[in-house]
Amino acid sequence: MSVEAPIPPAEVDLATVDLSDREWWVRPPAERHAALDRLRAERPFAFFAEPEIPGIPSGPGYHAVTRYADLEAISSQPAVFCSGKGAVSMQDVPAELHEFYGSLISMDDPRHAKIRRIVSKTFTPRMLERTLDSVRTIVDDVLARARATAEANDGVIDVVADIAAPIPLRVICDMMGVPEADRPGVLANSNIILSGGDPELIENDDPLTAFLTAGMEMAALMERLAGERLADPRDDLTTALVRSEVDGERLSHQEIASFFILLLVAGNETTRNAISQGLLALSEWPQERARWAADPSLDRTGVEEVVRWVSPVTWMRRTATQDGEVGGHRFTAGEKFLLFYNAANRDPEVFADPQRFDVGRDPNPHVGFGSKGPHFCLGAHLARRELQVTFRAIFDQLPDLEVTGPPHRLASSFVNGLKRLPARLGGTR
Amino acid sequence: MRVTADRELCVGSGACEMLAPDVFEVSDDGVVHVLQDRPDDEESVRQAAQQCPTRALTVTD
Repeated sequence: MSVEAPIPPAEVDLATVDLSDREWWVRPPAERHAALDRLRAERPFAFFAEPEIPGIPSGPGYHAVTRYADLEAISSQPAVFCSGKGAVSMQDVPAELHEFYGSLISMDDPRHAKIRRIVSKTFTPRMLERTLDSVRTIVDDVLARARATAEANDGVIDVVADIAAPIPLRVICDMMGVPEADRPGVLANSNIILSGGDPELIENDDPLTAFLTAGMEMAALMERLAGERLADPRDDLTTALVRSEVDGERLSHQEIASFFILLLVAGNETTRNAISQGLLALSEWPQERARWAADPSLDRTGVEEVVRWVSPVTWMRRTATQDGEVGGHRFTAGEKFLLFYNAANRDPEVFADPQRFDVGRDPNPHVGFGSKGPHFCLGAHLARRELQVTFRAIFDQLPDLEVTGPPHRLASSFVNGLKRLPARLGGTR
Repeated sequence: MRVTADRELCVGSGACEMLAPDVFEVSDDGVVHVLQDRPDDEESVRQAAQQCPTRALTVTD
């Protein structure tokens, strides 16, 4: 095994820690978690300036919330800590990006709840039970292709491109009714939208233009599909978006476009990173891999532990609507809070031995899908199902999968992502 | 034990449906519907009420 279990460094200098610096987020996880541990223990509402991004005005900065209890207190009071000023960016969203990215994730009730309810039924355990067979078919096909790729390539595969990316892409595109020919474009634009500005994914160091172009291309796809579905309804999410009414009215063009983009992007990236970094964690903890592989009754807790461990979405933002106090911190209206789910998910007040990856951890009240409040992950049940099917199928069909590393990390504070993860099938040659 | 749901607070997350599928169902309007207001499986229902993200479920003994 070329990848060792992480050993947290004893010392970390908080003066060198800038959570706004995307390059800080490619540092080794053990180092990042050591820093988050110290922030949680010593500066639980640490203040950081917003990063400079060309074309996007910076605001006053934000507090990094790292304690589980504080994160839950903020998340569960949406009237005091709103999402409508922007939940997925440190900066307030510029007007020109709102068209594509001002979705219900950055919206408050009552409008948020009304729009969410259009699709909530589709994502319930009962409804997803019906799609289980199609998820299994997709996973089996992707793993067979990964095997074929390895055989044609001296045993070498990329876990991200060959396993982790295609599974959620195909599942969500099936649910949305996106045709096969449009899927490579969806993947490429989704990568740009959640790039966090990683220069490898952004042309000419111009993120504003890249985000706008990606948004426009996705909106154009939505326009085309919306026209088709209005004329010829189908049993898919796109039909639900264009035909549903809220308060007696159809959704606005902006609401449909941003919701369409949200579902495709969120459905893609988060599950992908849980698969790739779940496999990375299993390679670092071989006893846990052997234990889980041998016992399908661990599929449920194993997946929850992967989501806790990876925390695919690092943070969401809330903005105070009034003055008040939370966790001993006095705040004024307009203050921004970033809820660091990855830090809360390793809070020793809640999780015994939090730096240990334990596929049998139970209970596991992680906040990898968000904490209490109306914005709890819409796709949580879908993600769980995809992950349970995927890990079990990998244990059964690719028992010889060996992560060789190193992981190529996405330079983003927002998404805990891998761009590539080298691996082999068929043993060492 | 009695369980009620506040359909204004509910966003149809389905957490309750996962824990107690015989008691809760998210209906076509995207909001929870209580199938048994005096449920047998009390432990699952208590967990559902505790884990509901919007605290939309109320349990009374």
